[in-house]
Amino acid sequence: MTTERITIDLPRRRGIAARVGSLGKAALITLLVVFAGFPVYWMLSTSLGTESSLYGGSQPLVPELQNIGQWGGFLADIPIFRWLGNSFVIAAGTTILSLVLATMAAYALSRYRFHGRGVAGFIFFSTQMLPEALIIVPLYAIFAGAGLLNSHWGLVLADTAFVMPVAMFIIKSGIDKIPYEIEESARIDGCSRLRILTTIVLPLIMPSIAAAAVIAFFDGWNEFMFANTFISSSDLWPASVGLSSFLGQFYTPMNVVMFCALLFALPAIIFFLWAQRGIVSGLTAGSVKG
Amino acid sequence: MATSTLEAPRSTPRAAPPKKPRGSGAVSRFIERNGAYLFLFPAIVYLAIFTVFPLIRGLLLSFTATKLVNPAGGRPVGVENYEYLLSSDKFWTSVATTLLYTLFTVVFSVSIGTAGALLLNTAFKGRGIIRAIATIPWAVPTVAAALIFVWIYNNEQGILNRTTSALGMGQHGWLVDPQYGLFAVTLATVWKLTPLVMLVMLSALQSVPQELREATWVDGATRFQSFLAVTLPHLMPTVRVITLLMTIWSIRRFEIIFLITGGGPLDVTNTLVVNVYRTAFQDQNLGRAAAIGALGLVLSLLVTVVYFIVEQIQERQESQR
Repeated sequence: MTTERITIDLPRRRGIAARVGSLGKAALITLLVVFAGFPVYWMLSTSLGTESSLYGGSQPLVPELQNIGQWGGFLADIPIFRWLGNSFVIAAGTTILSLVLATMAAYALSRYRFHGRGVAGFIFFSTQMLPEALIIVPLYAIFAGAGLLNSHWGLVLADTAFVMPVAMFIIKSGIDKIPYEIEESARIDGCSRLRILTTIVLPLIMPSIAAAAVIAFFDGWNEFMFANTFISSSDLWPASVGLSSFLGQFYTPMNVVMFCALLFALPAIIFFLWAQRGIVSGLTAGSVKG
Repeated sequence: MATSTLEAPRSTPRAAPPKKPRGSGAVSRFIERNGAYLFLFPAIVYLAIFTVFPLIRGLLLSFTATKLVNPAGGRPVGVENYEYLLSSDKFWTSVATTLLYTLFTVVFSVSIGTAGALLLNTAFKGRGIIRAIATIPWAVPTVAAALIFVWIYNNEQGILNRTTSALGMGQHGWLVDPQYGLFAVTLATVWKLTPLVMLVMLSALQSVPQELREATWVDGATRFQSFLAVTLPHLMPTVRVITLLMTIWSIRRFEIIFLITGGGPLDVTNTLVVNVYRTAFQDQNLGRAAAIGALGLVLSLLVTVVYFIVEQIQERQESQR
């Protein structure tokens, strides 16, 4: 008779206390949405402002939608598309390189028992603790010697070093979840390890690969410290460095800067919203084993 | 990014003995026998070149007087850089700033993120879109986030000062007054990172055993009691892991601070990593920068060790209950 009890209980809960509770909940949710959403909204709103409204200290709370036509004019002032293109090249390179290295390593760590397995795992984990700032000084010296300064290649190599271990853990947790029996039968049929990895395992861990790809792409797209240090020519700047060059400058109007920031943020936001489910399951599978 | 395996991997079955692969030439037999190393080799070599080697080189650099103009070599000076740092107030302030920044960021982002996840996990209209909005800041690139906050904190035209003065709280130099520097960078960081905590906690909440919760209701427990008895214990491991990761990442964090305050005003946001960067590329003193970096690494190791000890104690207490 338990079901009956629950059905009796439920209506009783909707008393005055519950109403106050749900009002409080609505208030808290509103607060959360405003806290998270306002800065993004403000970026959009500022990009639609006029110089006189922004610098007269009277930026309206409602975006001036009629000014949307000014966006086209901003593009002429700043090579934002060139910078975005550079960001894309760096992010795509980082993603591909990280995924190849990470998938192979993840397969080894997940499916083999061998000497040095613990040490290898520790090396991957310890990169999480390493401040990029400690690496950047010697890396600068090494890259200066190897002619990798001022090149997108150098950035891809440096970014991959930091995001590949992360991708490895995400992918490894995906492989851990596949029952080994599936591979075993393929091995009995005489499949080689490499073929098993490419034809059996890979299709099964696509969600983890996708999550790792998103993380790696985000990392390459957003990275600033290495890019700011290694790339001196403004033609080669990714958008992160290009945009940061506006900080502390007084002659670039904020509406132009915010429009560029919007162009920079939008692909990442859309990508995130589209892949959110996969990211979350990948992230948590990789990080949290409760 | 919340990503690292902290526990020993689940016991995966041992690699089955090779069962005569079809093309059993010498090459494929070699691959079969040494598969693990072959698969692992590229990644390990990569890390050796791009993290382990630079790390060692950085440590060696910290015992030299290397300048930016000649990054390849400088004269060895023994522990001079370390002596200088350990007796300099600026360095210790930097340590204190790092710890304060880490403490505030972790406490606020983990508590707001967890509370937010609990809130967003309940049923209400438009939950999908509200979840999306609440988690968007994580997707906003750090440089864009920094620019937005610099504009929000602007002295004359910033919306924050317009709001505070409308509320009769006066205007403040959020980015120029040393009193507010740490607040300014912490708020921006919490904004950017809370969604990540929220995402991780939301996903942990999905695996809370519903039958168990319902069973406690049937037994007459209030929702709050069943939260304490079922949900909270279930979430604790996730809370612990995300706290550790947020702590490690906060000690490492550079971009948002560097971009918003540049370590200023008057060095109040000069965390260790910002200090490393400024010493290397503004003061052009690579040797000393490397020494700060090495001490920073010691700090994050110390924090991690303390963290693990606390966790061990907590886990023991929990298992005794």
